[in-house]
Amino acid sequence: MTETLQLELLSTIHCKQQVVRAVRFNIDGSYCLTCGADKKIKLWNPHNDLHLKTYGGHANEVLDVAGSSDNSQIVSCSSDKSVILWDVTTGQPLRRYRAHASSVTCIKFNEESTMAISGSIDNTVAFWDVLSRRQEPVQTLRDAKDTITSIQVTDHEVLTTSVDCHTRLYDLRIGKMISDYIGSIITHGSLTHDGQCLVLSCSDGTIKLIDKDSGELLNTFMGHETNDYLLENCINDKDNQIISGSATGEIFYWDLISSNITNKLVHKFNKPVVSISHHPSDSILLSASEDEIKLWGVNNKE
Amino acid sequence: MSSESDDENVIRYGTPLEPFEEDEIPTKRKFQQPSDQYAVDANGRRRFHGAFTGGFSAGFGNTVGTQEGWTPATFKSSRSEKAQLSSQKPEDYMDEEDRSEFGIAPMQVQTQGEFSGQKRAKSNRFHDGPIPGEPVLEQILRPVHESAAVRMLRAMGWRDGQGTGERLTKTERKKAKQQHKVYGCYMPPEVRQEKQGSADESSDSEFEYETLFAPDDYEPYILLRKNDRFGLGYSGLSRHSVLGNLVGEYGSGDRRSRLVMKEKGKKVSIRGQAFGVGAFEADDEDIYATEDMSHYDFALAGPEKQINKQTVQREKNVLEGFVKSNKPLPAVPSYPAPTLPRDYRPQPAAQRRTRFEPTDKPQRDQGLGRHELTAEARGALLGEAQVKIELPKPQAEVTTNTPGKSETTMEKLFGKNINFVTEKTEDFISIKSSGADLKTFKPFASDPSKQSRYERFLENKLVERDSDMDNVTAWERDREMLEFEQAAKLYRPLSGVMGDRFTHASQPDDALNPMCAVAKSSINYGLASEEMVEAAKKGAFGVMTRRTVDWRPESLVCKRFNVPEIGGGRQQQKKEDKPKVSYSIFSYMETSVHNKESFTKEQSKFSGSKSINTEKKATEIPKTQESTTKVQEQPNKRMTVAELFLKESEKSKDTGQEVTETIEKFDKIDLYKAIFLSDSEPEDETTSTNFYEAPKNVERNDSPPRGIFANINFDEINSWKRSQKDKDNSKTEASINTKAEDEKSGIDKNDVVELNMYGPKIPDNLQLNTSTNTHFKPKFRSKDERDESSSSDSWVDAKEVKSKKHKKKSKKHKMKHKKSKNKKKDK
Repeated sequence: MTETLQLELLSTIHCKQQVVRAVRFNIDGSYCLTCGADKKIKLWNPHNDLHLKTYGGHANEVLDVAGSSDNSQIVSCSSDKSVILWDVTTGQPLRRYRAHASSVTCIKFNEESTMAISGSIDNTVAFWDVLSRRQEPVQTLRDAKDTITSIQVTDHEVLTTSVDCHTRLYDLRIGKMISDYIGSIITHGSLTHDGQCLVLSCSDGTIKLIDKDSGELLNTFMGHETNDYLLENCINDKDNQIISGSATGEIFYWDLISSNITNKLVHKFNKPVVSISHHPSDSILLSASEDEIKLWGVNNKE
Repeated sequence: MSSESDDENVIRYGTPLEPFEEDEIPTKRKFQQPSDQYAVDANGRRRFHGAFTGGFSAGFGNTVGTQEGWTPATFKSSRSEKAQLSSQKPEDYMDEEDRSEFGIAPMQVQTQGEFSGQKRAKSNRFHDGPIPGEPVLEQILRPVHESAAVRMLRAMGWRDGQGTGERLTKTERKKAKQQHKVYGCYMPPEVRQEKQGSADESSDSEFEYETLFAPDDYEPYILLRKNDRFGLGYSGLSRHSVLGNLVGEYGSGDRRSRLVMKEKGKKVSIRGQAFGVGAFEADDEDIYATEDMSHYDFALAGPEKQINKQTVQREKNVLEGFVKSNKPLPAVPSYPAPTLPRDYRPQPAAQRRTRFEPTDKPQRDQGLGRHELTAEARGALLGEAQVKIELPKPQAEVTTNTPGKSETTMEKLFGKNINFVTEKTEDFISIKSSGADLKTFKPFASDPSKQSRYERFLENKLVERDSDMDNVTAWERDREMLEFEQAAKLYRPLSGVMGDRFTHASQPDDALNPMCAVAKSSINYGLASEEMVEAAKKGAFGVMTRRTVDWRPESLVCKRFNVPEIGGGRQQQKKEDKPKVSYSIFSYMETSVHNKESFTKEQSKFSGSKSINTEKKATEIPKTQESTTKVQEQPNKRMTVAELFLKESEKSKDTGQEVTETIEKFDKIDLYKAIFLSDSEPEDETTSTNFYEAPKNVERNDSPPRGIFANINFDEINSWKRSQKDKDNSKTEASINTKAEDEKSGIDKNDVVELNMYGPKIPDNLQLNTSTNTHFKPKFRSKDERDESSSSDSWVDAKEVKSKKHKKKSKKHKMKHKKSKNKKKDK
C-alpha cells in the first residue's frame, strides 16, 4: 500500500491523435501502443517519450490495439469494421479481416499470438487465424445479444463482456461457455493474474469482483464516476489492487481485499480516463485521456 | 470448416519459387559451359577440328589414318609384284564412326525408309488404272514395322481387326453399331442390320452374362461410283434365290428380294416368290405379317434391367472412388429476355430534347424525404404499431385447455371445431396489429375467398369454418392452415423479417427531438429470467445468475491455443453445425425465414402456448431443450398408438395379450421398413404413422410399390397363394407380402408375427420371452393421462377424434389428414 502512494507522474506524451481510444503496453512493458480517432496507431517508448512508428491504414477510428508476444506484429480493430494485422518493423498491414458486420470494439491476441480474437458491435466474437492466409474467422461466437465491450484471453479461456449485462467465459479445454448475469452493462472485464477472479466494470458505477468458479460476488468497488463511458479497469502486477479510470479524470486504486480507495491519481480533471494499461511486471501505469497519455510509476531517481 | 479450406490454414515456411509469369518467354537454352559445346566422340575426344570447327573427325585418335598419323600413299612396282591399279573408295577416308549406325555411310543391314512403316506416303501413287484404288500388291506386302501408334495399341491389348475403345457387352456393341456415326445419309436400319449377319442375333442369348467384346473396327465408308441410272438407293431385283443360294456373282444372302433371276444361256428365267408362299418356303411368317399387339412392349421393366446391367459393368472401368454419373451434364440454361414494363416507351435515340424542357416526371424533393415524416407516419408506412411504453412483463401463460378438460372432450364428441389460442404477450409487433400490410401482401389474391380466409386467419390465427369451407374435407382445411402459416411467415412486413436481428426500443425515440437522452436499456434480451434479475439486484450472484452451456471450439482454435480438442476432433459433425458465415443483408433475411431454428421458433409461435414458456426460459440452451422435447414427444406418439390399439382390442373384446402382439408386430414392421424402405425420404415418418392409425389393415400401403417391390405383381402372387392356401406358404414370400397385401388381416395374428420375421424361426420359449419384453415398450398410461395429453395437443381437431371411430369408412382421406396433423405435431 505504501508503494502505491509513491506513484507519481513520470511523463506525459501528447499523441496528436485527436482522441486516444486505447493505450496498451506491449508484452514486456517496454513499449506501448496507442490508437486514436485519427485512424492511426502509434508505437511509443513511454519510458523515454519516444515515438517509434505510426501505422496508418484504417478507414476509421481505431478502437483497440494489441501487440503480439514476439513484438513482431500488431493487431488492431476499428470502426471501419475491419481488423488489421500489422508488421511492426515495416509498418505494413499483413492482413485485413473484414468479416465483422459492424465496428470492432476490442481485440486481443492469444497467448502465443497465433490467433486474434475480436469483439464487435455486431454482437459477435471472431477468432482470426493470423498464421495462415485465411480471410474468414475460424470461429464466431454469437452468444452475446449486444455489443461486446471487452475481451480477455488466457491460455485456454476467453472472457467476453457485453452490453447485454452478461459476461461469458469460454473454456476451450472443457468445452463450456459459462455466462454470468451481472445486473448492469459491463464496460470492461479483466481477469486477475492468478486467473481466479473476474474484475468487471459496470455502468452502474461499480466494479465487481466475481469469483470465476462459482460466479459469486466477492467484492464491490465504488467511488469513481462512470457517466456512460466505457471505462477500463486493470489489476496491478501483484494482484492486490484494482485500478480504474473515472469520468472525473481521476484514476482510482482500490485495495482488492478491503475495497478501500488507496490511491487517487489525477490525470486531468473532468476529462474521462477511458483507457488504462498496467505494466506486466512493474508498478507502472499508463493512462489515456483525450489526446495525451500519462505514465505513472515509482520515481527511481530519488 | 477447417478441412474445407485446408490450404488456407497451411503455414508456409521458406522462400517460395519465383512466380511464373505468363508474359515471359520461357528460354529453352540454359547457360552452357564452353566445354559443353564441343561435340565429342565415343572415346570422349573432341570430334570437330579446324578453323570453323566444322570438319569431320580427323582420323584415328584425331590423327589421320593410323596411329602414326597420316602417311602418304606409296607407289611401288616391281617385276614380281606389279603395281595394281589402286582405286580409292570413299570408305578409305571414313572413320568407324562414319560407318556406324548413325554415320554417313552405315554398314549395317537395315530397313529402308520406304519400308520402315514410319511414314507411309499415302495416295498420289494410286493411279487411275484399270484397277482403281490401292495396288493389290501393296496391300499384300506390308512393311514389317508398324507405326508407333500401332505398337502402342498392341501393347495395350489391341488386336488386329478389332476396334479401339473400352470393351463392351453384346448389347452395347449392338447399340453402338446402330448408332454408328455416318457421314452423309443415314442408312435405314434394315439395311444396316443386314450387314450384321444373323449369327449375331442368334447368339444374343448365349452371351447374356458378363462377356465383354471389343468394339467393332471402324469401317471406312467407301464411296462407290454410281454407274446405273436407277434412283438413289434402288437395288432392283437381286440375283439371289429365296433359299439363299448364291446365284449371281455378288455377295451372300440378300433376303429381301425373293425373286430369282437365272440365266440359262440366253434366256433369263425368272422364278421364285413374288406373292404367297413358294413350295419350298418353310417360313411364311413374314409374308402374311400382320401387326398385332403382341409385337409391342408394354412393360418398362425389360429394358430397365438391361440398363442396370450395363451400368454395373461400366463401373468397372471407372477409377476407384469415382462413380460414373448417370446424368447428363446440366443443360446450359437459357434465360428469356426480360419483359419490358407495360408502360415502357422506347425513346428513339435521334429524338432530342432540350434539358430545360419541363419533364413529365414529378419534381424530386430536395433532400431526403424521410426526414419530413414523423415516426408515426413512418411506422404507418412500414406497418408497425406504436409500442407501448411499459416494459413487457413476462406473464404466466394461461392455458385455457387444462381446466376444462371434461368440456373439451364433450365438445370433441359434438364435433365442434374449437381451437385454443392463448393470449400471449406480444414481444414483437405482430401481424395482426399491423393492418396496413395486409393490403400490400396478398398471397392468395387469385382466390378471393381464400384470401379473405387468410386475412381472417391472420387476425384470429385460426381457420374459421366458413360456409364455403363446409364442403371441403378436414384434410384440406388442415392443408390450408399450413399454407396460411407459411404465407404468414413469408409475407410478413419488414419488421417481422428482420425481427430476429433487431430488438425493439423499450422507449419510443422521439424523432422530433433527437437530443433527448436515451434511457439506459436494461432489457434482458430474453437472456435473463426474472429470478436472475432479482438475484442480481440483491447482489446474490452465483448459482442464480450463472448458466453453463456446452460450447465447442473449432479444432483450429484448439490447435492454435495448444489445447486438446474435445472429443478427439469429430470433424464431420462440426462441419454440419457450422453454417457458412456470410454477412450480406440477404443472408440475414434468408436466415430469418428459412433457417431451421427460426423456423421452429416461428412454428412455436404459431402453434400456440405449448412450447412458448420453455422457449422463453432457455433460449440459451436451445439444443438441449430440443432434444428433451423430442424425448418427451416420443412417448406421446407412442401413446396415441397404444390408445388406438387399446380401442381396437376393446372392440374385439380381447384383452392385453392381443394388443401387445399387434404392437410387437408394428415394431417389426418398423424394423422391416427401416431395412427395406431406407430410401423413403422425409415421407417415411408419415407413412409409419399411417401404419399406426389404421390398426385393422395394418399392412395396407396406398403408395405405389417402391424399391424392390416395384416389379412385383402382388396381385398375381396373392392369387397364386390363395389357390394353394392349404399348402404352407414359404416364409420369404410372405415377408414380401406383408407390405402391400391387405387381405392378410384375415390370417391368424400369431401367424403374422411369425411371418414378419427373418431367418430361422425363434424357439418358442424364446419368442415368448421377447414378446413379454416388448410388452413394456410402449408406455401405457392411465386413461386420464391419455386424455390429457391428447387435449393438450392444441392441434387435435375434435372432429378428427370422432372420425377415428369411422376409420374404415374414410380411411384414405383420414390418412392424409393424419399426415398433416402429425406434421404439426412434430414441429
